[in-house]
Amino acid sequence: MNKRFPAVLLAAAMTTGLLAGCSDNKTEQASSNPSGAPQGKVTVQFWHSLGGKNGDYINEMIKRFNETHDKIEVVGTFQGSYDETVTKLQQAVAAKTGPDITMLERAYVQMFADAEVLEDMTPYMKKSQLNVDDFPQGLMGHSTFNKKLVSLPFNRSTPILHVNKTMLDEKGLAIPKTWDDLKKVANALVIKENGEFKRYGFSMPYDTWYPIAMISQAKGKFYNDAGTSIGFTNGEGVKTFKFLKELQNTGALYYPPAQDSGNIVNQMFTSGKIGMMYQSTGVIGSLKDNVKFDYVTAYLPMDQVYATPTGGANLALMSASANKDAAWEFINWAMTDPKGGLQFILDSGYLPFTKKMVESPQMKALWEKEPNRKVAYDQLQYAVDTNKHVAWPQDMQEFFKAIQAIMYDNKDIESTLDTFKKETERLLKK
Amino acid sequence: MLAQEKSVETAQAYSIRSAAVIKPFRKSLGFLLKLLMLLMFIFPFLWMISTALQTLEETLTFPPTWIPSVPQWINFVQAMSAGPFATYAKNSIIITLSIIILQSAVMIPAAYAFAKYKFKGNALMFGMVLLAFMIPGQVTFIPVYLMLADAGLIKSLLPQIIPFMSNAFGIFLLRQYFMQIPHELIEAARLDNASELGIMRSIMIPMSMPALATIALFSFVSHWNDYFWPLVMTDSASVRPLTMGIAMLRETEGISNWHIIMAGNVVLVVPILIVYMFASKQIVKAFVHSGIK
Repeated sequence: MNKRFPAVLLAAAMTTGLLAGCSDNKTEQASSNPSGAPQGKVTVQFWHSLGGKNGDYINEMIKRFNETHDKIEVVGTFQGSYDETVTKLQQAVAAKTGPDITMLERAYVQMFADAEVLEDMTPYMKKSQLNVDDFPQGLMGHSTFNKKLVSLPFNRSTPILHVNKTMLDEKGLAIPKTWDDLKKVANALVIKENGEFKRYGFSMPYDTWYPIAMISQAKGKFYNDAGTSIGFTNGEGVKTFKFLKELQNTGALYYPPAQDSGNIVNQMFTSGKIGMMYQSTGVIGSLKDNVKFDYVTAYLPMDQVYATPTGGANLALMSASANKDAAWEFINWAMTDPKGGLQFILDSGYLPFTKKMVESPQMKALWEKEPNRKVAYDQLQYAVDTNKHVAWPQDMQEFFKAIQAIMYDNKDIESTLDTFKKETERLLKK
Repeated sequence: MLAQEKSVETAQAYSIRSAAVIKPFRKSLGFLLKLLMLLMFIFPFLWMISTALQTLEETLTFPPTWIPSVPQWINFVQAMSAGPFATYAKNSIIITLSIIILQSAVMIPAAYAFAKYKFKGNALMFGMVLLAFMIPGQVTFIPVYLMLADAGLIKSLLPQIIPFMSNAFGIFLLRQYFMQIPHELIEAARLDNASELGIMRSIMIPMSMPALATIALFSFVSHWNDYFWPLVMTDSASVRPLTMGIAMLRETEGISNWHIIMAGNVVLVVPILIVYMFASKQIVKAFVHSGIK
């Protein structure tokens, strides 16, 4: 066997080269854009971040488009999580290997808009008679930068209050509408035996979303209007974290460990270890099928006002695209055709993102059947995104540090937020 | 006298008896510790397999479900039909095998030269190899991507193979191993007119099988499981490996179908277990051989 080794090695190396060559050719044919292709089909590359079931739904949507358009072939490719897609997009823009259309997590849109790599879609919209007013205002917070409309909403979500109504009914409690209600209800749900919590009141994943929601409910803004510092210096931040800390100390709030926190709170909610949770609208579909109690959703409780940030992703047209007209046709179809975005929204449970979708009979029928989803859409009237700044992705890491210090290490709230303010001002100056 | 003898006897008997007590105790303690270690290592695997056979509802309960009530073999079908898994598997196999073969072709002569040749700059060049071993992929991926994109290779499997053609850690490990092989053996072979390639083939390789098997195993596992590099180097499904396919099973938002993801992971891990079983046999065999030198 030993004697044969180099021969085997050589043969294998040759085969490998051959195979690598083969697959090279095949992909060239399958996915790259043959500009002079005989059949005259234009290929549009579309990068997205949807895995799992939602990945299936978007693939089906792309398939429906391709079946009805014989001049355009859209190739959808999964590029990892939202963050990973951003990394890939950054390197692809530099290498000129980027897609025609990309999905962008809404908070990253500004960064790319500032780099001027996203196309202004205004002229295309005019041509297709699409108007900014066709979209719910709450979802348009990350679309226009420097007077250019660079992204349109697509798979959007918001945080919402998920309630185990059976558990609340057992104690004769109403669904909380204000922070005070929340405190009372959450405390009433706590079960403590031998100094150990058997049941907590409510929970939320380890994320910046929820503290930001609460700061805006306290009438604060995450960044001030000038974009130079934080906008919750009048005690809104301190109030938020004091409230959370107080609830955490009595067991009314279970604050999960950072790693995999979303799954942990979902599990606790489905198993009745908590009665309520702040969580994305994205989980409604799975929860509805997998819980054994009366499950309802409600607005996030208000302090001074109702308020919610938004999440999810938008679609953007890349400036470097060579097929902008074909790419726009796909975007326009996704926005307006009942077989496009509307069907995707019905399948996936993301928020309807045009007013037409909201008024469509399909959406009305779904809401009739699942009022939990309607609550999510209705809450959009209070949607406000105040953490808008090019430096947000960086500053987010600082905010996470502050959350960790307060929620896990019991650090002093005022001084932690002071440190965060200084860090923010340093980052926003750049 | 007699009393003394007796006391010596009892002392001996005592020590024998205590040994008889201590030995099994020690043995069983060792056994228990080994069992504990085994459980620690095997637990994640069992957990993965258990989850792969549960329903979504079972994965969502807390405290966790240990044994699924009805094994859900359909999860495997669902995981495999979620994307072009045959392509992913084919790519994974081509990429890892090519890497191992190319690495061996580069590594063995390099290590042989570093270990057995005396030439100017040997130490310096070896130092540079070690330097390469210390630079993480996260530092080099952007320039490498730009280079390969310039060369128009992004749509092939090559960006996942070329950067790993040389394995600095492998060269290092193999050089240390080669250095232990007595120089007289090589001298003797040269007297018999053996070529340098012949020496590598019939002396260096057979005598360093444990090191080679170890390096190949490490290399296989790290490239088979690699997610970061394929993620940044590939833009289309046709050139992606299994790890990317499995990452695609995750939900971006909302509740992930852990049972499906774990089924995908089982499929990903099985080849590693097979290769490991094969490699561990090789390692043991090679150790037995090297004992006779």
